Amino acid sequence: MSDLDKAIAQLRSCRPIPEDQVRELCHRARELLIEEGNVVTVTAPVTICGDIHGQFHDLMELFRVGGDVPDTNYLFMGDFVDRGFYSLESFLLLLCLKVRYPDRMTLIRGNHESRQITTVYGFYDECLRKYGSANVWRYCCDVFDYLALGAIVLGASSTLSPGSPEDDDTEIEVCDQAGSIISRFPRQPANQSSQEKLDNSNKNTVDKTGPPGTGASGSSSGSVGNPTGAILCVHGGLSPLVDTVDKIRLIDRKQEVPHEGAMCDLLWSDPDEIDGWGLSPRGAGFLFGADIVKVFNHRNDLSLIARAHQLVMEGFKEMFDASIVTVWSAPNYCYRCGNVAAVLELTEDESGTGIFQRTNGDVGRSSGGIVEPRGGPKNGPARRYRVFQAAPQDSRGMPAKKPVADYFL
Amino acid sequence: MSAPSIPNLLSLRARGGRGRSRGRGQGRGGFGTGAEAPASRGQAHDSVIQGTDTDAAVSRLSAVDTGYLSDPYARYFVSAFDGPPARRFPIINRGTYTRTTAIDNLVHSFLAGAGGEEQQGEVTRQIVSLGAGTDTRPFRLFSQKGHPQLVYHEIDFSVTSAKKLKTVEAVPPLASILTNRSTGDTGSWSSQPLSGEYFCHGLDIRRLSPAATDILPGLRTDVPTLILSECCLCYLSQKESEDVLEYFSSRIPNISVVIYEPIHLGDPFSDTMVSNLAARNIHMPSLERRRDEADEAARLKRLGFETTRQLTIDRLWSKWVNAEEKERVDRLEGLDEIEEWQLLAGHYAVVWSFRGDGFEGWRGIE
Repeated sequence: MSDLDKAIAQLRSCRPIPEDQVRELCHRARELLIEEGNVVTVTAPVTICGDIHGQFHDLMELFRVGGDVPDTNYLFMGDFVDRGFYSLESFLLLLCLKVRYPDRMTLIRGNHESRQITTVYGFYDECLRKYGSANVWRYCCDVFDYLALGAIVLGASSTLSPGSPEDDDTEIEVCDQAGSIISRFPRQPANQSSQEKLDNSNKNTVDKTGPPGTGASGSSSGSVGNPTGAILCVHGGLSPLVDTVDKIRLIDRKQEVPHEGAMCDLLWSDPDEIDGWGLSPRGAGFLFGADIVKVFNHRNDLSLIARAHQLVMEGFKEMFDASIVTVWSAPNYCYRCGNVAAVLELTEDESGTGIFQRTNGDVGRSSGGIVEPRGGPKNGPARRYRVFQAAPQDSRGMPAKKPVADYFL
Repeated sequence: MSAPSIPNLLSLRARGGRGRSRGRGQGRGGFGTGAEAPASRGQAHDSVIQGTDTDAAVSRLSAVDTGYLSDPYARYFVSAFDGPPARRFPIINRGTYTRTTAIDNLVHSFLAGAGGEEQQGEVTRQIVSLGAGTDTRPFRLFSQKGHPQLVYHEIDFSVTSAKKLKTVEAVPPLASILTNRSTGDTGSWSSQPLSGEYFCHGLDIRRLSPAATDILPGLRTDVPTLILSECCLCYLSQKESEDVLEYFSSRIPNISVVIYEPIHLGDPFSDTMVSNLAARNIHMPSLERRRDEADEAARLKRLGFETTRQLTIDRLWSKWVNAEEKERVDRLEGLDEIEEWQLLAGHYAVVWSFRGDGFEGWRGIE
């Protein structure tokens, strides 16, 4: 067993690894990440995950529900640390897995992967508590500076079942943590108005909510079917300074998250029911409306933007005719919110038109690896959401401090 | 967003150790005379609830230290035994700020409303704070000028009121506000500050009921009175809390109440709150019923309060905090967790309700 595998085993049992191992790990991770572009190209199948926030036991639950590494190809959209009690173990485990299986694990940066935010929201304090010094926090922050800012998923299939695509018209499937299907939304004809679809899927949602107690009803309205299958993944959202994916590639990302500018916006912005751009109540980034998303997706041949950053009680939320989706992977966030979590699975297109070489680096990046769409309009990717609940705290043989959520008392 | 310097390293220990030191600070087992039944479950619960006051004091100091609130007296009520003061998350600081300023607003409007009638100094107003604990409001009010004569009562377990007296006696800035002190029995004490009277009653508020004989020395029934419950009545059974309110409304014609407490909205957040509080051995009977604004108004009407208004902390932040102040507060730490804030703050409410004269200052407050 290599040292790395030993570290993985130790972290999987929620025990931190020694400081010198963290330094070595962070060094290796940086060497790997420095080779990645700002926008990493990932090939489907892939499981896309949102915020983790140090909820280690729930991350283990995520792996149980979504499949283990390296069997499942994962893309985590940032916010690994802060708020939960096990930021350190969660981030180091993900980093170990990244170093061990670089092509099966993609990590992009969230707004909490920042020196400033981690001193306010818990990760700094946690490192001090667990190591007695800030060294480990510094090593981790140095890694944060090298994390990619986004990812492009290529080769996603427009059907969920490989092999018999012609029989499968499912666009969206929602499963619970046991894998049982909670609801299924068939693909709508492209000429149907989006309002009709919304009405239909609302009806479906009412008819097909999850089993009692799962709270899983999800929220989606089907897509209008953009002709390509490329999906942009980013932690927060869009920026008024970024009108093409290539502009993201030009950012000098190896720095602390700035207070403003394109890099800041990508990590901080939120979609909202507005026209154009608006001021964000977070004090960083912007709000952006459906028109912005549609123009951006069209200009960049994207069928979908997947992002995290906002708590959604149902674990995922599709907006603007399914042109953007929020994926949230921290169940019962802060041990207080009572929400369920979700991951988004995109399956592999086996039709032969969407096979792409994976590049984690700059090779062939000028084209983004995107193949021009051929023939008639192609539908957006089929999406399977696996919804899961918080892991029982003391059931997994791991040290589990009883979480104490703060209230105003 | 502010760039806080590297946080105080020792604050971690305070955070980790709060659970332990709470018991020490509050003298677990130090109350009760020994004549009662052996530590019952009810008694243990009382002790846990007294511990929540330490929680509130720590939160208050955190909000003061980070610049949300200005309260020179907050630090005197956080025990040095607890180590350096803990820093709360921004979401909790903002909640403490919003709750405190909203109640300040209601209290000041109540007091200022008296200004128009007659000469200041000839008018008297009364405030009764239930489960007051280490609240600093009397120090803030009695050190301000321009208020009417004020009769201020605080009621809490005798161990808490006795502890408050000790703190006041030991801290000159507090002692110089609550001057001319005299001590009664069961932890009760009083003071004759410059512009009124102050009473600290060492009394289990569950003894207050319409039938109770007068057990609150100094309580005036002839002046407009505000009953204040900041997370206090919610720990009582519905019957007990209604008895407390009726104790006052049956005696005082011009009466009002301001209640701040969590509310159950019948959603997963509420359920999680109940089970999380239960894990800390905190039981809030008020969370057993789902909150409905109209029901609450009807309940208060039955108890003798005519006009009722209610706003959640979330709404209070949006409506009562002006744009300039919002900007100032936003700049202190930033608040990343917007959705969580709306969720958490949407589950706490301030209710204000009144009958009779003396509440002119609340006209137009929505």
